[in-house]
Amino acid sequence: MEVLREKVEEEEEAEREEAAERAEWARTEKMMRPVEVRKEETTLTQETLRDLEKKLSEIQIPISAELPAFTKDTIDISKLPVSYKTNTPKEEHLLQVADNFSRQYSHLCPDRVPLFLHPLNECEVPKFVSTTLRPTLMPYPELYNWDSCAQFVSDFLTMVPLPDPLKPPSHLYSSTTVLKYQKGNCFDFSTLLCSMLIGSGYDAYCVNGYGSLDLCHMDLTREVCPLTVKPKETIKSEEKVLPKKYTIRPPRDLCSRFEQEQEVKKQQEIRAQEKKQLREEEERLMEAEKAKPDALHGLRVHSWVLVLSGKREVPENFFIDAFTGHSYSTQDERFLGIESLWNHKNYWINMQDCWNCCKDLIFDLGDPVRWEYMLLGTDKSQLSLTEEDDSGINDDDDVENLGKEDEDKSFDMPHSWVEQIEISPEAFETRCPNGKKVIQYKRAKLEKWAPYLNSNGLVSRLTTYEDLECTNILEIKEWYQNREDMLELKHINKTTDLKTDYFKPGHPQALRVHSYKSMQPEMDRVIEFYEMARVDGLIKREETARTMTEYYQGRPDFLSYRHANFGPRVKKLALSSAESNPRPIVKITERFFRNSAKPAEEDVAERVFLLAEERIQLRYHCRDDHITASKREFLRRTEVDSKGNKIIMTPDMCISFEVEPMEHTKKLLYQYEAMMHLKREEKLSRHQVWESELEVLEILKLREEEEAAHTLTISIYDTKRNEKSKEYREAMERVMHEEHLRQMETQLDYLAPFLAQLPPGEKLTRWQAVRLKDECLSDFKQRLINKANLIQARFEKETQELQKKQQWYQENQVTLTPEDEDLYLSYCSQAMFRIRILEQRLNRHKELAPLKYLALEEKLYKDPRLGELQKIFA
Amino acid sequence: MNWLCDLMEPRVMDDDMLKLAVGEQGPQEEAGQLAKQEGIVFKDVLSLQLDFRNILRMDNLWQFENLRKLQLDNNIIEKIEGLENLTHLVWLDLSFNNIETIEGLDTLVNLEDLSLFNNRISKIDSLDALVKLQVLSLGNNQIDNMMNIIYLRRFKCLRTLSLSGNPISEAEDYKVFICAYLPDLVYLDFRRIDDHTKELAEAKHQYSIDELKHQENLMQVQLEDEQARQEELEKHKTAFVEHLNGSFLFDSMYAEDSEGNKLSYLPGVSELLEAYKDKFVIICVNIFEYGLKQQEKRKTELDTFSECVHEAIQENQEQGKHKIAQFEEKHLSSLSAIREELELPNIEKKILECSADISELFNELMMLEMQLVEQLEETINMFERNIVDMVGLFIKNVRSLMAQCRDLENHHHEKLLEISISTLEKIVKGDLDEDLPDDLRALFVDKDTIVNAVGASHDIHLLKIDNREGELVTRIDSWCTHLVDKIHKDEIVRNRKRVKEINQYIDHMQSELDNLEYGDILD
Repeated sequence: MEVLREKVEEEEEAEREEAAERAEWARTEKMMRPVEVRKEETTLTQETLRDLEKKLSEIQIPISAELPAFTKDTIDISKLPVSYKTNTPKEEHLLQVADNFSRQYSHLCPDRVPLFLHPLNECEVPKFVSTTLRPTLMPYPELYNWDSCAQFVSDFLTMVPLPDPLKPPSHLYSSTTVLKYQKGNCFDFSTLLCSMLIGSGYDAYCVNGYGSLDLCHMDLTREVCPLTVKPKETIKSEEKVLPKKYTIRPPRDLCSRFEQEQEVKKQQEIRAQEKKQLREEEERLMEAEKAKPDALHGLRVHSWVLVLSGKREVPENFFIDAFTGHSYSTQDERFLGIESLWNHKNYWINMQDCWNCCKDLIFDLGDPVRWEYMLLGTDKSQLSLTEEDDSGINDDDDVENLGKEDEDKSFDMPHSWVEQIEISPEAFETRCPNGKKVIQYKRAKLEKWAPYLNSNGLVSRLTTYEDLECTNILEIKEWYQNREDMLELKHINKTTDLKTDYFKPGHPQALRVHSYKSMQPEMDRVIEFYEMARVDGLIKREETARTMTEYYQGRPDFLSYRHANFGPRVKKLALSSAESNPRPIVKITERFFRNSAKPAEEDVAERVFLLAEERIQLRYHCRDDHITASKREFLRRTEVDSKGNKIIMTPDMCISFEVEPMEHTKKLLYQYEAMMHLKREEKLSRHQVWESELEVLEILKLREEEEAAHTLTISIYDTKRNEKSKEYREAMERVMHEEHLRQMETQLDYLAPFLAQLPPGEKLTRWQAVRLKDECLSDFKQRLINKANLIQARFEKETQELQKKQQWYQENQVTLTPEDEDLYLSYCSQAMFRIRILEQRLNRHKELAPLKYLALEEKLYKDPRLGELQKIFA
Repeated sequence: MNWLCDLMEPRVMDDDMLKLAVGEQGPQEEAGQLAKQEGIVFKDVLSLQLDFRNILRMDNLWQFENLRKLQLDNNIIEKIEGLENLTHLVWLDLSFNNIETIEGLDTLVNLEDLSLFNNRISKIDSLDALVKLQVLSLGNNQIDNMMNIIYLRRFKCLRTLSLSGNPISEAEDYKVFICAYLPDLVYLDFRRIDDHTKELAEAKHQYSIDELKHQENLMQVQLEDEQARQEELEKHKTAFVEHLNGSFLFDSMYAEDSEGNKLSYLPGVSELLEAYKDKFVIICVNIFEYGLKQQEKRKTELDTFSECVHEAIQENQEQGKHKIAQFEEKHLSSLSAIREELELPNIEKKILECSADISELFNELMMLEMQLVEQLEETINMFERNIVDMVGLFIKNVRSLMAQCRDLENHHHEKLLEISISTLEKIVKGDLDEDLPDDLRALFVDKDTIVNAVGASHDIHLLKIDNREGELVTRIDSWCTHLVDKIHKDEIVRNRKRVKEINQYIDHMQSELDNLEYGDILD
């Protein structure tokens, strides 16, 4: 009690000074009442302030939800370990120190709310808050970083509001209990998160402070869903190339500069007008969205986590709200004030003014003016070497002296009383309670499910609404996991009714994106494929009712684009209705990349098959130093000349424009061959288009099947879900078990029943041994005989029955129906089979019985328990 | 009977025979009719088969410029000839003939497959030009020396070889030898060489092959060195300062100077000469380095210029292409509109519009081109000015350096003259203690002789220096003029070509429109 005595002395000394300091205190005390004070007049006297406080504390906010079911009664404390139920001497000591500290504190700062130091735990035992933190490094690599940790905590636990929103809770349960029941208030949340963060090496602290209404109620309806925020595109500033020495001068600009200026001015005016309108609109919207003023603004107690920079390469201090798992800057205006904060080693009280939320706070915990610590000599984290003003410290070091010397220097925080925090893999995977979670954002709703919970693999769904009341759906995004068809994301735009499916690599048809309005063929749709995954190099196929466009890449024939126009379907005669009726192709356009192996005037850039007009148009690539490209047009006409001969080729069937006329291309033979070649190509292209159509049908069918089946894949490493491996493992276990049984059997003791007759522990006499042996042998002989008899009896029985049946058959042979006869015949064959087997068994038994007998005799001779026998024969 | 006759009578390839063969082997059916109508030009023929025709002499093949495949097997050819023009030939079959030596294949650089099966060849050579050779068939010949195989090592693409039926194939290690010396070979005598044989062959002939390889490597290195030297010299030549990075000029000065050499035996002259040479070489090296630097400068200048011009032309072309594309789109739609139009006056109106469009396009394109021409002209003139200035500066500096050389020479001449005269005086006085070579002593007969001798030496030296300087200046001048001329000419050619192209295109468009008009009116 040395400490206490010292404290008392210190107190007395302090009291003397107190009177003088009171006045000073009165000035500073308002800093502990953060923002709400600011809203009042700035010059408040202490009395009015107290009145206000009293008034305010009388206001009872009806808590919307019924009191949490998570009370002491529901917790089974019987199974909790001893450390939960009692305090060790060291903890007792700590509690006393804490009490002392708290007493001095309330003495010195009577205007501040009592400290949140040692709430009761689930066993009604007071525990110091720092010892409730149990730094744990989770075995899951996903939980190594703060963001995933925070997300996990926010997903895993269900939020329960504080029983009294203006006061810290009276109970603070251990993280193990919280994890077990998956429920907790903000203090439970932040304790768990802080434990995990400290465990994975962050410099994290639990904060007891004041938060806004939204924060305390985990109300995200005024926040924009992070998933809907589009990442900002970074515009790359193009580097301006310096004009080279010989860069040609641009042609002289003959436009009037005055006119240009006027035009620019006009444009600017219009733009400014638009901007203004836009801004007004925005402001109006913001107004509408703004929250109603909160009567208890600045009084609502909240707890969150503070992460200080330094460790784990954290560049900047930041807050994490454990409810949502989001990180906030320390400047965020939702965090209205800090009362105290603690980690697993120490406890600090904020001595700074919170009139401007947390914006002016300096998180230099080593600075005793700003942060009053409870235990000395633990880590004075980051005592900044640049103490700004020494004089300032001397002025008000009364506060500083408060607990410094009192503490035993070597006293440090006792070890945590909480058991090791454990999360089972199942729980980790399920995450949310029951594997489901719904978060309401501003104009958006996010639903989450655990993997494998939904049979179609749905893991999350984001619904975006048009209005704040969330009635008109704008679009739906659904994320899937573990689907066999590799579907990853389904995006439904409700306004245009356009559905877009995104696939991961590995779909049997190499699908990447499929956007469509309906699954009917020959409708508007765009299918994109994974590059390189397809042999034909197709990367995109667009369809409308009358056209189909395909884009290719990396083909050996350099095809890059194929576009087909379809005509209306002709009505067919009923005769061939069984066959498919493809739409007639009117036009096929194909484009090719430049094939550098060919000269440009022979390398076709585009060819158009006008099937209806029997016309083929070719456009060649343009040579590097030319601006025009060769063209050729073939007209297919099969006519007969005046003599009745078929005209094969006439000059007017091929109109060509050549950039550099060549001799050999003028030849009819060349043109004829080119045309023949094109005809073949046309046929091929038509076939290709037709096949593409078929493929679309196939893909649609496949997609429908996949949608209907929605099977999920199970990793071969997933031993729990993998049915096959499970079966295999079970089978292996069964086999092992049987093996074990068999071994047991072989170890059966022949002599056991006989030995049991004798008094145990005594050595057998010779006579006894002989008698035992004889009994055993005779017993075995009897067994063998019995068995033989049994087989014999069965054999006879079967034979008799068969004979009876045969007799019956012979008598009734005439009147029998064929079915009965069949029945009889099958019976006969079965009976004969049985008889034969029995006969074989009997014979075998007869053969083996003497051998078995001899083997047993031999064994008995060698049995060590019957050693007496051996002696004689030896 | 005819056939027999053919068999008996040796023939020469003539025009008729070739025409017949081409006709027979040309396109068939419909295409054949067309071909007959038009006639086949030998130049377009890609493959020709002339087997079993008792040909004795190859001739008249020069027209088949684009021939890829030629079969002349089963004839009685004795000499390979007349293939010089067939440079595109890939496949040549001369099997079952009476050829004795390989020759006349020096221009067939594209040949990949050569068959000389069943001939009378005894030595493999004259195949050096056939760098792409892949298949070589030399079976049933009279090759009897294994060393012929080593000749085949130079064909890096050779994969298939047949030599069976030759005297060498009787040899015991024939197969192993070939496998060892031609490790890249895959097929020998129509059989695949298995890995086992390869290993065996390698083990057996390892030493000799290693030696061979070593020699080949040495040769290769030598060749590369030579090439590198040549390249270096080439580089210096482009800088017009070759042979100036050392004492070459100085040495050449004394190479033809007998008097000078004689005089160097005078006492004190050798030291003088040494000092003179050192100074002279330093100036030469200065010129050399300056020349290289200037060359570098000229090159960057030229590069920048051509790059800029290229960019400008590219951009202009892009604009032109864009204009044409725009026009074509519009033109197509208006053409189809004309086709659908029924009223004659409307048609005429539309056609008029169309032709207006065409002339508009023409104007636009020509305008673009004229603009480019103007811009380029300006740039080219600027470049010309700069390069001429550069060259002038270079010449000026080289001249001043050369003047230094001349000064040195003058100085040396004076010194030499002094020494000579003093020596002469000594000799005249008779108190020369040193012994002089006889031919040198012969010069010291009187003052005129010695002065003349020294003067002659000096003149030769000056001439050499002048010559070198003159060579440098003329060469760089001609280079400069050539360059500028070429740039101008290129630009003119480009301009002509573009104008022609535009005109051609516009003409085509107009005539197309006219045709349409004509056709419509007929309808």
